[in-house]
Amino acid sequence: MKVLVTGAGGFLGRAVVVEALAAGHEVLAMHRPASLPEAEMVPAGVTVVPGDLRQGGSWRDALGSIDAVIHCAAAASGDLPTQLAGTVLATENLLAALPSGLARFAHVSSFSVYDFAAPNWPAVLDENTPLEPRPLRRDAYTQTKLRQERMVREFCAAKGIPLAVLRPGAIYGPGKHWDYGKALAIGPFDLIFAPLSRMRLIHVRNCAAEIVAVLELPEPGETMINLVDDEQPTHWGYHHGARGAGAPVGLAVPVPYLAVRALGALAWLASKTFFRGRARLPEWLDLPRQQVRWRPIRYRNALARRLFGKQQVRLSEGLQETVATTLP
Amino acid sequence: MTVESGAPLRAAVIGCGVIAHDHLAFLARTSNGRLVGLCDKSAALAQAACDHYAAAPVYTDASAMLANEKPDIVHVLTPPQTHDAIVRQALAAGAHVICEKPMTGTAAETAGLLEAAAAAGRVLVESRNLLFNDPVLSLLETIRAGRIGTVRECDVLLQLDFLAGPFGDTNLAGPGVDLPGGAVHDFLPHLVYLFQELTDTKEVKAVHGRLENLSGNPRAGFDFLDVLVDAGEARGRLRVATDVEPSAFRVIVRGSRASVETDLYNPFFRYEGPPDIGKRAPLGQMRAGFGLVGAGLANLRNKIGQHGTIHGMGRMLEAVYSAIRRGEAPPITPDDILATARMTDGIVALGAAR
Repeated sequence: MKVLVTGAGGFLGRAVVVEALAAGHEVLAMHRPASLPEAEMVPAGVTVVPGDLRQGGSWRDALGSIDAVIHCAAAASGDLPTQLAGTVLATENLLAALPSGLARFAHVSSFSVYDFAAPNWPAVLDENTPLEPRPLRRDAYTQTKLRQERMVREFCAAKGIPLAVLRPGAIYGPGKHWDYGKALAIGPFDLIFAPLSRMRLIHVRNCAAEIVAVLELPEPGETMINLVDDEQPTHWGYHHGARGAGAPVGLAVPVPYLAVRALGALAWLASKTFFRGRARLPEWLDLPRQQVRWRPIRYRNALARRLFGKQQVRLSEGLQETVATTLP
Repeated sequence: MTVESGAPLRAAVIGCGVIAHDHLAFLARTSNGRLVGLCDKSAALAQAACDHYAAAPVYTDASAMLANEKPDIVHVLTPPQTHDAIVRQALAAGAHVICEKPMTGTAAETAGLLEAAAAAGRVLVESRNLLFNDPVLSLLETIRAGRIGTVRECDVLLQLDFLAGPFGDTNLAGPGVDLPGGAVHDFLPHLVYLFQELTDTKEVKAVHGRLENLSGNPRAGFDFLDVLVDAGEARGRLRVATDVEPSAFRVIVRGSRASVETDLYNPFFRYEGPPDIGKRAPLGQMRAGFGLVGAGLANLRNKIGQHGTIHGMGRMLEAVYSAIRRGEAPPITPDDILATARMTDGIVALGAAR
């Protein structure tokens, strides 16, 4: 297949390009103009398409012959207008430029679109979990990823394009370690919130391989797939594993989930009392966002396992190489 | 179109970018207006704004929105180079207009729009929200109470790395903003109207200084301004810099009796003058120290409560809406707008002369 990969210069996009090439696809890798790869670093089979999805340009001319899209591009940080431009406007421009008759659209969404309050005890989150019904109580990332996913789904439904919506967990690997499970650092101490809650980690190569594999799925219509590794360490376990691998972490101080929620409740009360409910709270004090990161939940990946089989990278191996790249 | 004094103004917004969020937040809470339409050339951005603030019909075509919704007032929040055509379109549709600054690239274009508004019998206001910010209101109150005597000097010094945002993002093609003064021009009206209001001057005799591109970033056009302004009895310095830290928007006014200073990003208020001068100056410094501690606490509270640098926007819009509903002159007059545009022209000419 001739595959367009958007966000090809990003953490996930780079791995997707490698996996797509390894799977025998011809790759059009869309990179932002200010961070184009050196020509000698671009492997055979990859054509670099310079362009920024936030505005039109010559990148649109390169899309005429593609068979499939893997849409990784999104703004992962910044304020709401920044993320609206980098995620929503970018997707609107991409959809407007796509040729008709695409064989498949693989959209990289996020676990953040789910309603983390929805699962009842014992909480399990899978593809049937409802989406966040009140995005405004969450952060800009959730708001824009929800909107982006809706736009892609509406577009593919209207055009009859087979769509796979892939919702990865926390993607880790060389260059991204999610603070090794700590919530805050105070001097030599690392506060581990909800130490026994699971992290929905997925190694970047596992994630990229499953995203690329979706291009070959026979399923027509729309498929939602959660991407998360089989091994889901606790925050404490991940921190401990990182220490064992040589990561420069502090001394772990576990803070039980109930204590975290109590802090959140106090912050909510203070916001209501002193700021008319408008206080801008950090994640660790904001009740809805606390749930997203620290609620004890099991993340089911049965569908991904059935479709894609065994994963390549084990947690111990992934952690070793992640730590190795951060050491001086 | 006649607006009944009892009816809230039917408001429409054109342009759903960054600044629209502050306008829409006002429209979501005011009793003076009601949002009836949102327009952006991106349907997705318009829909996002609609979902966030208020349900209103969403358009990608301003003409269609003006024809269908017949707004009493239109907020023009698009990039500056598009203002002229859209403002004229809104005025022709019988609407009053609030336009983000800078309304145009030159005083001549601004004068043309003001003439069009006058001919249509509609109000046209260029946003100058910082005049309604708490620290600026404190400065004005102090000056008007005569506490600093006759105003002699006013320095307005902005240091902000705006090149880190869209103005300097070289991933995007074309200029960050299509104005004669480049990226500096987008901020310049703030500095000019603050100088004019605080010194009570409209015209300048001379402007000396530099308008340059120090970063070499082609998207910025100009990213550095440092000028001395001679306005007769008052003089001052206006500066925009991206290469110094921390971010600050310092305003200092010196008078024949005393001086006052504030910052619009992290507000404080420092008064240096009688009675704490001469031998009592150390007492004034101690008083300023306590004032700084209080300001720090207030700023912390304001940051948590999302009371930011744009907090004057709601007050400005409320004042404009109220004036229109009462049939009175708005708090920002055509003369004010034109004077700011003329002085801006004089400063921007420093860049053209290079």
